[in-house]
Amino acid sequence: MMQPAPRLPDSERSAQADQLRDAWAAPTGWRYWTSVNNTQVGLWYAGSAFFFMLFAGVLALMVRVQLAVPGNDFLSADLFNQAFTLHGTVMMFLFAVPIFEAVAIFLLPSMLGARELPFPRLGAFGFWSFLLGGIFVCGSIFFDAAPSSGWFMYPPLATDKEFSGIGADIWLLGLSFIEVASIAAAVEIIVGIMKCRAPGMRINLMPLFAWYLLIVAGMILFAFPPLIAGDLLFEMQRMFDWPFFDPSRGGDPLLWQHLFWIFGHPEVYIIFLPSIALMAMIVPTFAQRPIVGYSWIVLAAVGTGFLSFGLWVHHMFTTGLPQISLAFFSAASEAVAIPTGVQIFVFIATMLAGRVIFSTPMLFGTGGLAIFVIGGLTGVMVALAPFDWQAHDTYFIVAHLHYVLIGGMLFPVVAGIYYYYPLINGRKLSDGLGRLAFWLMFVGFNVAFFPMHLTGLRGMPRRVFTYPDELGLNLLNLVSTVGAFVFAAGVLVVVVDVLRPKHRQPVGKRNPWNAGTLEWINEPQHNWGVRSIPQITSRYPLWQQPELAEQVNDGRWYLADAPHGRREGIVTSVLDARPIQVLRVAGPALITIAAAASLGGAFVAMTFHWWVVTALCAAVSFGAILYWLWTGTGEIPEQATRRAGPDLDLPLYASGPASVGWWAMFITMIGDGTAFGSLVFGYFFYWTIHSDFTAGAAGPGATWPMISVTLFACSWLLTVAARQLNARARVGSMRLALGIAAPLTVLAAVAGFWGPWQAGMEPTRHVYPAIVWILVAWTLVHAALGIVMQLWCLVASLAGRLTPAHDQDMHNVALYWHFMMVTALTAFAVVGLFPMAVT
Amino acid sequence: MLAPFALCGCSGVQSALDPAGDESAIVANLFWVMVIGGAFIWIGVIGTLLFAISRRERPVSDAGAGRLILWGGAVFPSVTLLFLLAFALWLMPGLRPFATPADASMTVEVTGKQFWWQVAYRLPDGSRVAAANEVRLPVGKRVEFALESDDVIHSFWIPALGGKMDMIPGRRNRLSLLATKAGTFRAPCAEYCGTSHALMAFSAVAMEPSDFDAWLAAQAEPAAGVSGEGREAFLRNGCGACHRVDGTEANATIGPDLSHVGSRKTIGAGILPNTEAAIASFIANPGAIKPDAKMPAFGALPAAEIDAMAAWLKGLE
Amino acid sequence: MIRLLPREVESLWTLFTAPIVWALHFLICYVGAAIYCAKPGLLGLDFAAVRLGIGIVTALALALILLSTLLAWRQWGFGTYDPPHDDATAHSRRRFQGFATLLLSGLSFVAVIFVALPAVFLTECLR
Repeated sequence: MMQPAPRLPDSERSAQADQLRDAWAAPTGWRYWTSVNNTQVGLWYAGSAFFFMLFAGVLALMVRVQLAVPGNDFLSADLFNQAFTLHGTVMMFLFAVPIFEAVAIFLLPSMLGARELPFPRLGAFGFWSFLLGGIFVCGSIFFDAAPSSGWFMYPPLATDKEFSGIGADIWLLGLSFIEVASIAAAVEIIVGIMKCRAPGMRINLMPLFAWYLLIVAGMILFAFPPLIAGDLLFEMQRMFDWPFFDPSRGGDPLLWQHLFWIFGHPEVYIIFLPSIALMAMIVPTFAQRPIVGYSWIVLAAVGTGFLSFGLWVHHMFTTGLPQISLAFFSAASEAVAIPTGVQIFVFIATMLAGRVIFSTPMLFGTGGLAIFVIGGLTGVMVALAPFDWQAHDTYFIVAHLHYVLIGGMLFPVVAGIYYYYPLINGRKLSDGLGRLAFWLMFVGFNVAFFPMHLTGLRGMPRRVFTYPDELGLNLLNLVSTVGAFVFAAGVLVVVVDVLRPKHRQPVGKRNPWNAGTLEWINEPQHNWGVRSIPQITSRYPLWQQPELAEQVNDGRWYLADAPHGRREGIVTSVLDARPIQVLRVAGPALITIAAAASLGGAFVAMTFHWWVVTALCAAVSFGAILYWLWTGTGEIPEQATRRAGPDLDLPLYASGPASVGWWAMFITMIGDGTAFGSLVFGYFFYWTIHSDFTAGAAGPGATWPMISVTLFACSWLLTVAARQLNARARVGSMRLALGIAAPLTVLAAVAGFWGPWQAGMEPTRHVYPAIVWILVAWTLVHAALGIVMQLWCLVASLAGRLTPAHDQDMHNVALYWHFMMVTALTAFAVVGLFPMAVT
Repeated sequence: MLAPFALCGCSGVQSALDPAGDESAIVANLFWVMVIGGAFIWIGVIGTLLFAISRRERPVSDAGAGRLILWGGAVFPSVTLLFLLAFALWLMPGLRPFATPADASMTVEVTGKQFWWQVAYRLPDGSRVAAANEVRLPVGKRVEFALESDDVIHSFWIPALGGKMDMIPGRRNRLSLLATKAGTFRAPCAEYCGTSHALMAFSAVAMEPSDFDAWLAAQAEPAAGVSGEGREAFLRNGCGACHRVDGTEANATIGPDLSHVGSRKTIGAGILPNTEAAIASFIANPGAIKPDAKMPAFGALPAAEIDAMAAWLKGLE
Repeated sequence: MIRLLPREVESLWTLFTAPIVWALHFLICYVGAAIYCAKPGLLGLDFAAVRLGIGIVTALALALILLSTLLAWRQWGFGTYDPPHDDATAHSRRRFQGFATLLLSGLSFVAVIFVALPAVFLTECLR
């Protein structure tokens, strides 16, 4: 359908609109909170993230008050340490990353011309997990129990119970829970961008925001899992005394630093790229022309995404690694400045080639760039190892990172708030307050942070609760404190502007900035996203397809109705966005909240070592997720196809790579594989640092691991065979294959366990048995999930939920088993064969 | 914005921009070169940005804008960074050469502890001179430091002489420094190490080689005042369970070596002036001065006894 | 010559060829040097061999990136089409992919050279 359908009579159109309105209506009363729609979840997400930001901002002000004069006693040493630890942790984990997830969830569907992201309940689950985890972590400071080992949690300070209390557990478990939410959001965003764009929105027509977010979500998949793996090792040491970071038993504190910064450096770009993505939407609007250098932006986003994974050791330049290692990371850290430079020059070029309207969002945007460029330049400096040896862990770095993050992230986000606020309730924020806020923030920021460059090089280390009088740091620190309060006043003005009642302000016109991208077609008063899903033929549809808005609102494009009362969207192909399926997404649900709350309960209970409660909560959570999957996914539609437009019938069911569920499984398992890879990295890390990494202890031997691998292979083959048999309608044989595969998996797991067990490997004695057990345990947990999945398919087949024609679950389980097989093969080859190869 | 810079200057006993060592001087120069280059780049980029915003008439063509991205955004940074990187890599081997054991005249072993520094001078003849919370080194001679930690990660940093090196439990890191000017510098712990991280520093004293040799020889012997008054109180109250004082039976290494504590620039690991009153106040209640310090409070003792110990310690020069 | 190269592949993944080559090159250089420095006696080699190895891997990586550049150049249409490649056709989309891949190949080429530079200046592990 390259042409819109004819306009229907008014009565039919309003009947269609009513159907849509009913299908997409947000629940009311207390049930409002069961909504899973991207508009609500996106706003809650953003609101909570901002709340956490303000909380962390207050902590920063307390830190600045304490440092205003030398020898101050406003905060005790311990409370100061809790405050700066929580400030960093909250800003990074509860504001910077979640705010991007929030903005993505809120904006992406409308930018892509979709009605919703593909997994709304997953999005809501992620939000509730984030909120519960965030409150848990933040709340700890009111009980004087906040983490106080720094947001980087270096062992042994953070592993040893003599040096750090329950705060360390709160950090580890609370944030692990939030990392799960981030990965959930990444899955949702990747599948949303690849598969749920409006028909015709080929990859060369995608809004730049989507390009950035695709890359960022991909980065999350490779950056967060190493931290999750690190958290696992860390918590095993804190709870069960497995000596991963204890040098007296073969461990090494540096392994944590590697795992933390493999996450930590890409994290900076995970924060920065989405904010620059907002700029890439704002700049063309106010330059009144399409962006110049669209392909250059793709280069910059993809290039930064890759290079950012080769920087992590620049946080470890002073740990005594060989200088040749430092040099590689120094080189990559310099190289990453190139795509960043491209990014900035794309904006400048676009402005030069257009006529700029200098609005409030542009003010924040350009102010942010001016700040960010300073941060980038100091970044180039500290990327050189010799200079970093001096600057590392001083206030120079504090200045550098705030120039990067506040210029590169906070200012663009505030620009985004001023720009996108009309999408929330149709009204603009105040220009006057906006400009006031900008100047307070801009001046305050520079007054606070510019002197810190000098403070640092004059010898002030980071994370000190006080400093001596005679070092010449007094005036610099006092100026910084004054600046911090001016900056905070600016932030407060933004908060006031956003929160002040606006019901007396008239609703402005739609698309008030005369932007060219699709999100401005939305009417905030409707929950349905777009009235009909348009065919896209340009990068800036509202500029280049002038009749589009009217056609969309007249319901002349795809899916203008909802005859079955279901929430529906279109799935399209990756490259050219050909429509291939009508996807039905879930509506409001309590089960997602139940799943998140019980999972959160398990994490909280674990912190306090309430094992029974932990087990109960975990069981409830597991049950809730199974119930959610059974009732909410793989539904067999009442008819095979659905009319999406006058000449377009699309299937309602898809399985395998054509379905969004398959992609979600694939992407999740990539993340899972990365976490596993990080544990394997740990194994080889211990091998490199010791002359005999087994410390003379007996290993699991080769026999049992090889038996286990063989059994896993049989189970895997049977699972794949089950998929084929089912597709050929040989349902009986398929059930038999699964019925044999599940017990085989049990045997495989037992054999895997038996290897280290019969050798008497004691994980608390030395790091070698500990790392072997962790690899085996990881495999066994995955095997347990594999059994659940095999049985799931068996039961689903018996229940008539899985049939030869409707075999989504079978495809996804077979895909899981491919990854399971790789995991088992790697784990047992490493623990069984490697010790023989090196001795 | 620049006012604080002008007001404060760069000098100071803890400043990396007031170099008294070979590494710190080279790095300070590198810094100033980069600051000036960076300032020009910043002015260029932001100037272009403001020009682009304010220009009203005749926009630049798409092709022209594309060329700006290519040359300004890609080629210029690539070339500049390539040269900068090559320069820094060329610097690295010379900045921190690691002497082979044969030509190292002396190794200084420093061990980080919560929240103080254990120091030992390992001499070519194999003898070992113990000290704490102060490092002395001869001007013009390269000194190798062997850095370790007993508890958590600390970082050894004498800003006036060179960059830092972490002290990591289970590892022995090496650092070599060359002082070029005599002087007394302050050296703070640079890796967050717990509650009193801010209160962990030491003095670094660069001395003329002849002075240094004389000083080291004196350090190897008991202090002159070791048999003085206050010694009894020190031993009676069990101080010897943690501390060592050369020439007495106090011979423990849990706390700082006090053999020559009276000659040090500061006490309490760089946080109090070395006076009898300060020593007395530290003995009476270390936790009030340095939260989470391991030393118990002796405030319950009679003031006269504490004062006697303080006076005796101050006399150990 | 161009005809010997494989036919155009319709996939998003070709975009990532050159950065993946960069990533592998980086990993091989870092891991190789790190293992050598941690276990100098492992293969009985000296540091010159490590530098030579880095040189060989670098030449290989640059060659692969050149190949990717060539393919991208072809996908772009040998420079006969100018950006912005924003038509609603599969043809325009392929040109866009070609151009973006070409730019990424250029960046990866420079980045590989950056990462190889340490082997020029450092002649031992230095720790």
